[in-house]
Amino acid sequence: MINNPIFNAPFVNRRDFLKQTTLASLGMVAANLPGTTWAVDGNVLHIRNYQDVKSLDPVSMLSGAEGLIGNAMFLNLVKFQPGDSWEWELDAAEYFEQLDETHYAFRLRPGIQFTNGFGEMTAEDVKYSLERIVDPAMKSPNAGEMGPLSHVEITGRYSGVIVLDSPYSAFIPIGLCTSSGGIHSKKALESVGGQYGIEPPACSGPYRFVSWQAQRKTILERNSEWSGPPAAFREIHLYPLNDVKAGELAYEAGELECTQTSIESVEVFRKAMPAFSRLDLISSLRYYWVGMNMEHPKLTDIRVRQAVQYGIDVEAVIEAAWFGLATPATGIIAPGLIGYREKADVPLAGDREKAKRLLAEAGVELPLKLTMSLPALAMEMTAGQVIQWSLAKIGIELELDPQDNATLITMGMESAGDRWKDLQLHLQSFFMLGDPYYATVWFVDKQVGVWNWERFRSEEFDQLHDLAMRLTDIGERDRIYQRMQHLMEQSGCYRFLAHSVESLLSRTWFEPAYRADGYPMYRDFKLSGPGRV
Amino acid sequence: MLRFITRRLGISVLIIVLAVSLMFGMIHMIPGDPTSVILGPRATPELRAELNQRMGLDQPMAVQLGRFLGKVARGDLGEDPFSQRPVAEIVFEQLPFTLILVFTAIGAATLLGVPLGCFSAIRRDSWLDRASAVLSVAFIAIPSFVVALYALLLFSVRWQWFPAIGAGESGDIADQVHHLVLPAMALGLGWVGYIARLVRSSMLEVMEENHVRTARAFGLPEHVIIGRYALRIAILPTVTILGLGIGTMLSGALFAEIVFSRPGIGKLLHEAVMTRNYPVVMGSVLVTTVFFVVSTLVSDILNAILDPRLRGAGDQQ
Repeated sequence: MINNPIFNAPFVNRRDFLKQTTLASLGMVAANLPGTTWAVDGNVLHIRNYQDVKSLDPVSMLSGAEGLIGNAMFLNLVKFQPGDSWEWELDAAEYFEQLDETHYAFRLRPGIQFTNGFGEMTAEDVKYSLERIVDPAMKSPNAGEMGPLSHVEITGRYSGVIVLDSPYSAFIPIGLCTSSGGIHSKKALESVGGQYGIEPPACSGPYRFVSWQAQRKTILERNSEWSGPPAAFREIHLYPLNDVKAGELAYEAGELECTQTSIESVEVFRKAMPAFSRLDLISSLRYYWVGMNMEHPKLTDIRVRQAVQYGIDVEAVIEAAWFGLATPATGIIAPGLIGYREKADVPLAGDREKAKRLLAEAGVELPLKLTMSLPALAMEMTAGQVIQWSLAKIGIELELDPQDNATLITMGMESAGDRWKDLQLHLQSFFMLGDPYYATVWFVDKQVGVWNWERFRSEEFDQLHDLAMRLTDIGERDRIYQRMQHLMEQSGCYRFLAHSVESLLSRTWFEPAYRADGYPMYRDFKLSGPGRV
Repeated sequence: MLRFITRRLGISVLIIVLAVSLMFGMIHMIPGDPTSVILGPRATPELRAELNQRMGLDQPMAVQLGRFLGKVARGDLGEDPFSQRPVAEIVFEQLPFTLILVFTAIGAATLLGVPLGCFSAIRRDSWLDRASAVLSVAFIAIPSFVVALYALLLFSVRWQWFPAIGAGESGDIADQVHHLVLPAMALGLGWVGYIARLVRSSMLEVMEENHVRTARAFGLPEHVIIGRYALRIAILPTVTILGLGIGTMLSGALFAEIVFSRPGIGKLLHEAVMTRNYPVVMGSVLVTTVFFVVSTLVSDILNAILDPRLRGAGDQQ
């Protein structure tokens, strides 16, 4: 570089200019490389949301993805603790106690403010929020989660008593801790006609709603009126990516900081982990099983159904479909929950000799041809192929009938015509919430032809289901739910396969927080170092 | 010309009604109960009945179709049972993303394909012609979703030159263009080869015609002969194909939208079919059919403008 004598300023020749612009360009490129730009403040979390948002109002919310966003924006009286147990903790309530089987007393923390000038949270808001979910006029699909909620009695500005019509032991985990229990401002909701779609009129949690763009993203920002510990991120950007693989690729491309991964990718990531990343594996509550329609002519003989139970090698299925990562299912209740069984009645690997004996006793002509309907998804198809192979060893020729979800979901439903009569075997999975009630409720007599496609009927099962719902004694409930799963297995209608596993990738500059079933709890995420802009 | 356009418009309306009616029948023939998909385990008989009624599913199919067409005539595409938002609003907020993608892809393909085809024809049997032939066939042979996948893995994941998901920030044109590059490339690459081959063969044919020889005999410059006298005729089949190509690209856009998690009508339609969201399926099909028909109509009109013989043929018919 030489001085320009005319302007007494540094004169830049062509070589210097090129050198400087190249360095500047390289600097700009480097600044945009993921993981290389860091800032003390102004953190934005980019995260996969497995579905786009249709409604954030608890009255009309339909997916868990919406519930997760709701949990970041609204306080509940009590909420689940992050971690691997289903313990709950106080949230908006500073005091919460179950008085008897049908009464729950609460007192709110004073000073919790709603956004947009809607004032302080009071017991009136709790009453309004909970009662509107069960109000028949609202026609809420989530009313069932509140069970027999009758009303909320207000005893003071911040205190009240929740009254149920009958005992409902899942009221706290399913009614109060989920998004249906989110407390909204009565004044704010009334200002928008009592219901809203996407944009809440007021929030009360650590994050507040900013914007939603269909199929693009939802943005939350730190709630400046929040009186609790400040939220970790200035903004959270949630991208609706239905395909888990899209989330993985976006993470690898540096566009996301947290995402689920597919099970088959776990080993790949373990061998070559992206920079500044961690991989968490968390047991899921989703349970998989092979169900048998006991009213199908080929399956009316319990010995045939039991032969299928004993013919399926669950260990092999888990090894192939879940790469050995899933927990073998001993029933429909996952480890960690009340009612979990340590061992199923049918051995994990099955018992081929016994299966053959049962078929011989039933006088079945071999090969016995059966059909199994299952979701047309890679993991389920792999599981189906292993089951096909297992059953071939005992003389059952299993034809796989892959279906898309919307078709499969009605195959055993009487309301969808006579197709349930042709249903033989089906590989199915249900998601559940943090109480065993939510697992057994689908298999009672009333659910035959609705969600109970095996058409399993047991008077004892139904009685136990009702009893367990009313009991508060954990030990007693535990015994009852174990017995119920034994009854299911004994009917020969079910071969329990696995409790799935959630695999989650995240950057190391923050500490993610997950519910016991692996769902992200955005409001509990914490920074563990300087974040990326 | 007016009669020509009027006749084409009439046919277009007929095609739209027919396509929508067919789609209506087909979507209802696929097994699957939308209320169960929408409500999941929460589906009580009362809620199911209420939703069925709201979606009009409690009526015979002919009545449902009649109502749908009647509403469409009034500009109402119905309501999304999931979000309870108007279907027209949902479809039209996604349509621009697909249109931008399709027009960028077809525009880029035309800008590359037409000169490539011209040069190949002018330099027939040269190395440029041979290289162009190999490249064109290769571009045509590779399916767009394969291009999309590899582009994503190489340019987004490995080198991180382009984004892997989304359509860019609203209002940030540079960011939106950045997000558009890979999907448009995936969608348009095959068309580069296709257009180049088409233009080349048309050009070779036209260059042998009498009017081109006459122009040469008059001593007109070569670029004038090619641009004004040869290409103008040779481009006609390409214009027709481009009209159809836009329609084909609308369906091809689905892959690009899914692979790049990009908003758009293809992705919307895919999700709606998977969840048996009939109103959104019908709204999306209607809009894409209209778009396809309009683009075909425009290419017909363009052809008629470029070649007066077509107008005459239309009149004689």
